[in-house]
Amino acid sequence: MTEERLPLTLHAPQDIITWHQGRPIRCAEFLARAAALAATLPPAGHAVNLCEDRYLFLLAFAALLLRGQVNLLPPNRAPRVVEEVAAAFPGSYCLVERPQAELALAQHVVDVHLPAVDVAVPALIPAAQLAVIIFTSGSTGTPRPHGKYWGDLVRGAARARARFALARHAGGTLVATVPPQHMFGLEFTILQPLLSGLAVYGGRPFFPEDLRQALEEAPAPRVLITTPVHLRACTAAQLHWPATSLIISATAPLSAELAAAAEQTYGCEVREVYGCTETGAIASRRTVAGPLWHPYDGVQLHCADGHCTAVADFLREPILLNDIIEQQADGFVLRGRDSDMVNIGGKRASLGDLVQRVLSIPGVHDAALLLLDGDSQRGGRLCALVVAPELTEQAIFAALRPRLDEVFLPRPLYRVTRLPRNDSGKLPRGELLALLEQLRSGDGVQ
Amino acid sequence: MSELTPLEHEVGQLIIDTLNLEDIAVADIEVEAPLFREGLGLDSIDALELALAISRQYGFQLRSDDENNTHIFSSLRALAAHIAAHRVK
Repeated sequence: MTEERLPLTLHAPQDIITWHQGRPIRCAEFLARAAALAATLPPAGHAVNLCEDRYLFLLAFAALLLRGQVNLLPPNRAPRVVEEVAAAFPGSYCLVERPQAELALAQHVVDVHLPAVDVAVPALIPAAQLAVIIFTSGSTGTPRPHGKYWGDLVRGAARARARFALARHAGGTLVATVPPQHMFGLEFTILQPLLSGLAVYGGRPFFPEDLRQALEEAPAPRVLITTPVHLRACTAAQLHWPATSLIISATAPLSAELAAAAEQTYGCEVREVYGCTETGAIASRRTVAGPLWHPYDGVQLHCADGHCTAVADFLREPILLNDIIEQQADGFVLRGRDSDMVNIGGKRASLGDLVQRVLSIPGVHDAALLLLDGDSQRGGRLCALVVAPELTEQAIFAALRPRLDEVFLPRPLYRVTRLPRNDSGKLPRGELLALLEQLRSGDGVQ
Repeated sequence: MSELTPLEHEVGQLIIDTLNLEDIAVADIEVEAPLFREGLGLDSIDALELALAISRQYGFQLRSDDENNTHIFSSLRALAAHIAAHRVK
């Protein structure tokens, strides 16, 4: 039996696939430069793709696929986390836009000016090739790997393309505020530009005015890929927005109120996708239409004893979902999630993992993290209570910075003589809150 | 530590109010210390909140590709100077 091979991209050679610093990159140039990069890559099985610019990420992504190497995507960019991910794959290296002194790893800089190399069109990648290993923050303190095969990524992208009728926006541009390294960003800002008729804007606009200018530069129809944090900031900014055709949000729940405000501001539908790193996107809803999620075609949920698993033609095996799901006739409703997980500004992490990282600092004897203001727009802020008699707050903070994504850096951080552990060694939240109250009022500080 | 100007004081209070930094007073902010990471420990989500508050109070939008963007948030003093130079109200 011949091995199934699927195209790296569905764009015709003359199609624009991305915009790089105001310049259109046509598919033929993209493939030629990716092939050139592939030829210069060091021999290895895996590489951490750290590129932030979406054109450079796409080049690195495609070059690795063409060369038969695996894209490693870390849960965040904290240097120690990137090093842990690389360490799990001996011989691996990092693909970067520019050398990063704080990373103790072999680095290969993505060069966009390499002489083009001829490449057979269409470029085909074996469906059974491991394309990506994407990592999530695990409760044990070590990032957990999730392998993605090219055939599954292609089939999942086709389901999303059908769900959002992206063919209607062919010739248009995806503009995104999310990084390409997590699953939502990978699916909608890397795989869709390869596998639908849309191009992707290369930059990553941050402030509302940045996004407005990016949308203005991007040829219509424009599809915005974003998160509730950015939607809120942009909707409140009172700017005059260019016509936008569709907004897709994920990474954290969007309120119906914000969705309605955003639909009014941008004059288009705001839709959310549901999924996790293990599954990718598997369902969607138009938020203003109600809480019901509609699974993608070909996705089935099997629920029993309060647990649900997802089955789909783009998943190699049934995947257990972390959410509490209530099935209804036409879809499902979310009723909560595993309490160990926190979601701050759309970034998820296991509290257990974060505490392990604090405990890994030499001199820290005990530590607790409390999520405060969890109902706020940003999803709360972590506060740390740390037993570390020999260390200053500044020293603890300096040690934490390379170990955690910035949104999980605790603020404030208090040093205490001991934590209020109960007989079973657990830390009741009520006790921690009482201790925090005491610290805030100025009593009991070391 | 040098004295705060009236605008620096006002921007310091805006940061505290916008981000609900209950345990901090303007007097605690070191005027030359970084606002992000090691200073006040703010993050990118806070930056978005602050950008919104600044646009409402001073009538202009922050931009990432301003050449001196990293400089703008490098300290309360730098942020206040940027606001003084760009405010339209």
